[in-house]
Amino acid sequence: MSRFRYEGAVVVVDLPSGEREMLAQVLSDLRDLLISGGETDEALRRLKPPAHLDNAEAESSYRELVDDDLLRSRLEAIETVESTLSGAELDTSAVAAWMQSLNSLRLVLGEQLALAGIDLVSHEMPDTASAALYEWIGWLLEQLISAASEHPDL
Amino acid sequence: MTAPVIAPETEADESVAYARPWKVLVWDDPINLMSYVAFVFRKLFGYSAEKAHRLMMEVHVEGKAVVSSGTREKAEFDVFRLHEHGLSATMEQDE
Repeated sequence: MSRFRYEGAVVVVDLPSGEREMLAQVLSDLRDLLISGGETDEALRRLKPPAHLDNAEAESSYRELVDDDLLRSRLEAIETVESTLSGAELDTSAVAAWMQSLNSLRLVLGEQLALAGIDLVSHEMPDTASAALYEWIGWLLEQLISAASEHPDL
Repeated sequence: MTAPVIAPETEADESVAYARPWKVLVWDDPINLMSYVAFVFRKLFGYSAEKAHRLMMEVHVEGKAVVSSGTREKAEFDVFRLHEHGLSATMEQDE
């Protein structure tokens, strides 16, 4: 059963309550990490990739320019997902927020797995809760992209 | 999240000659879904599904692809939006 489908100008969400609760929990964890992790958390670096590879000065001014906006954008997207989590329909801005948030979650979870030595390219995932969570988020994101791709305004 | 105001880019824009324009590159990574990367190219740059898919495959196969180009300000804005969407993007000036 697909969790997202495009229907009459909106994307319809069909998430079992257990999955909504799980999503609420991992989003809350991500927000805590975004707020407290700051410069120190290694997995969070995946959300702030460098813009300039060979120019430390340009990179430093880019970081100064965008890091606050990047953080704000991610926190606002999480808030939008939380405020639409109990509903059944997503408009275009909610779809964008869900997509950005699911992808942020996946990036951080994936980076945590990679830092733990898991080869993400091999597709041989370990039988752990964090690997299962990573795969579940990816499964949701894939379905949301598929539904959103049918949307003429996305 | 505020929806960015996006001016759809046309093919013609890319051929405009800037003085040493900047190019925006997206790099392959093992986490982002292929479908997601193609979707982001469509959404941010207004590319057709075909063009977005072709660029995504170039990233996947070649390891990187130039996805947009222009002034430094435009490149910086594009890199920011790509980073906002979780893609590994960098900018460099044409030699």
